[in-house]
Amino acid sequence: MLSGVLLIGAPSFSQSVTDTLKERVDELKDRLNGIDERVLTNESDLFKLNKIKISGYIQAQYDYFENRLSYPSNSFQVRRTRVKFQYEPADGVKFVVQPELGPGGFELKDAYAVANAPWLKNVELWMGKFNRPNYEVEYSSSSREVPERSRIIKALYPGERAIGAKLEYSPKLIPLKVQVALLNGNDGLTFKDASGNNMNTAQNVTNKDYDNFKDLMGRITYSLNLGAGVGLDFGFNGYLGQLKATSTTTIKGDYTLDKSDVKVGDALKRNWLGAEFQLYADVLGGMSIKGEYMFGQNALPGYITSSSTTTSTTSLNATADTLTISNITTKDNSQKPNQINKFSGGYVYLVKNIGKKNQFALRYDFYDPNTQISKNDIGVKKYETTLDDKKVNLTTVYSASDAQTIKVVSGDITNATKIKATSGVSDIAYNTLTLAWNYYLNDNIRFTLAYEMPMNEKTNAVDSKGNYLVYDKGTVNGITKYNYYNDVFSQNTFTLRVQAKF
Amino acid sequence: MKTRKKLIGIAIVLVAVIGFAFAPIQKITVKGSDTMVIVAQKWAEVYMKKNPNISIQVTGGGSGVGISALINGSTDICNASRQMKRSEIDKLKGRYNTLGVEIPCAKDGITIYLNSNNKVSELTLKQLGDIYTGKITNWKQVGGADADIKLYGRENSSGTYVFFKENVVKADYAPSCQTLPGTGAVVNAVKKDKNGIGYGGAAYAEGIKICKVKKDAKSPAYEANAQTIAKNQYPISRYLYMYVRNKPTGAMKAYIDWILGPEGQKLVVETGYFPVK
Repeated sequence: MLSGVLLIGAPSFSQSVTDTLKERVDELKDRLNGIDERVLTNESDLFKLNKIKISGYIQAQYDYFENRLSYPSNSFQVRRTRVKFQYEPADGVKFVVQPELGPGGFELKDAYAVANAPWLKNVELWMGKFNRPNYEVEYSSSSREVPERSRIIKALYPGERAIGAKLEYSPKLIPLKVQVALLNGNDGLTFKDASGNNMNTAQNVTNKDYDNFKDLMGRITYSLNLGAGVGLDFGFNGYLGQLKATSTTTIKGDYTLDKSDVKVGDALKRNWLGAEFQLYADVLGGMSIKGEYMFGQNALPGYITSSSTTTSTTSLNATADTLTISNITTKDNSQKPNQINKFSGGYVYLVKNIGKKNQFALRYDFYDPNTQISKNDIGVKKYETTLDDKKVNLTTVYSASDAQTIKVVSGDITNATKIKATSGVSDIAYNTLTLAWNYYLNDNIRFTLAYEMPMNEKTNAVDSKGNYLVYDKGTVNGITKYNYYNDVFSQNTFTLRVQAKF
Repeated sequence: MKTRKKLIGIAIVLVAVIGFAFAPIQKITVKGSDTMVIVAQKWAEVYMKKNPNISIQVTGGGSGVGISALINGSTDICNASRQMKRSEIDKLKGRYNTLGVEIPCAKDGITIYLNSNNKVSELTLKQLGDIYTGKITNWKQVGGADADIKLYGRENSSGTYVFFKENVVKADYAPSCQTLPGTGAVVNAVKKDKNGIGYGGAAYAEGIKICKVKKDAKSPAYEANAQTIAKNQYPISRYLYMYVRNKPTGAMKAYIDWILGPEGQKLVVETGYFPVK
């Protein structure tokens, strides 16, 4: 009987164990599914976060300036503090924002969007504020082997960035790159009025687009692999632009008249061409020789100023028994003419890597901002003329009072407009030699020791008293100091920089 | 006199032996392709046995990770299952002023993994592209069962991901494609999923069904093997590369020369890849 009971009980016991196990398995399965869902959600969030890339660098340095005409002659500074945010929501779409967070304040260096439509494949459209298409401009300051860009690049492309739109074409099978940009054109430029205020403003915002002219910039580069570790990249670039004339006369680089019937708002053309190359060779470690040459025409808008003074006088002529009361406004107008001038310049780099951590760099750069005038003509050559004739617009009213005649003279006198421009420091050419040693502690930290030696063009131009006409002037500790351009004076800068990059 | 000379000779030999015993161990780091990590580890193991004063450290992470490590200096040799992109060469130029040295070291046929129970046995390149872009979503569209296709692939730092995208998919991967961190993970996923499809190096194809690939509907279908790779018949074949920053010298040159020599290439075949020549 007992065995019967056991026999009857056994299947129901094993059934209940099976049921319990099944329940447990189901419970574990549900929990695993739950964990799966959470992992998928986290993966999806991580996937989105992975699309955001943050990078940046800080450059802190000590500079010693020789012969500086301002105070101090040596200082520590934070040269650059950049943080770049890049978001790629999908293949071929990119948003980039890069602020500069320096002690001088906040500045937006880059802010652009890049789109690459699948049907266009190798063409990208950029819009916003981005680097102008030029080798030294696009070569990041964090990678550049010497502390600062060459003089010609700083002059032609101040601030490096411009606002506009750009198309970039890089076919996959050919090592070719074509860049064409349409830009506002006035980005970073400074042209001052008589009071020293920057005229490159609109609605009180510096560098805001202020005319209808748009500049076109193009660059084409090709890469050759010559074998045996030698590679050559070479290319050509061009710029077609214009600035708004802000004076009614335009002169040429040699300070002779170009046009005297210019309307304010007319175009002043600035066009140039350039050629570049970068040669890489594996010679006991990496080595490169890089260079660029540019020539063309640049433009500088002039300005118009006017001033007036009102003089009130009373005088008595006892003999004629006449009292003269005069109230005369004298108006003076003057103009600095617009100028268009030819320029040329370039640079050559030699960079040698020594092992993994050390690097030596030498750069020679040259820039002549005005090739139409040189040496002893600088300071002497000038353009001076007057426009219009003097205009006198006075009225005289007589009245008598008993024994005296009262003569009242009023009105205005407008003097002939003076137009003047004199050659000077802005026409001086420079050759600059820069030596640098870089030590890479690791991929994030780099030390740079650099010495920059600019050599100025000389001019012996003097006035009638024998004083040199071309000089820089400054005040140091209350004492006025001069650097005369009759000789090459030292303007060297020693820099010790630490860069941290992430 | 003779005894003195003997003693001096013995002393010199002793110093040399002791000196070599304490010769500094030269370290070579290798980083990059997950496709190549198995063969790279085998190379390192065998070479270190023969050269005890050389220490070789091998890690994976993907071709993209290896190339970044080459650029930032944290690896001596980068393994890559794709060629370096122009932008990566530009970064190498910027940092080291070199183009880098590309060394093809093996050949591979990207194998299409199917679950063992999948009825489908061959696909054209276009079908593969349409599957991975999401245009074909059901196995019945390519002669299989009526079931949704589950896509498995690699993350975008993988050279295999890039190569497959550029040569087969030719567009964006379907959003439903699950990214996995390594070819081994792709194989495991397809092994467990009867509707799964994956891709990766030939050396990892174990426990799954290998799908033959045809250039187009009219061409014959081929499986990746030494013959079809050597004759360029298999449509998705590629070189596997080592990259170094400068022309290799010293211990690194000796190691690379050994990899390209008969012993190194024998290990390539043993791992499931194909010799470079």
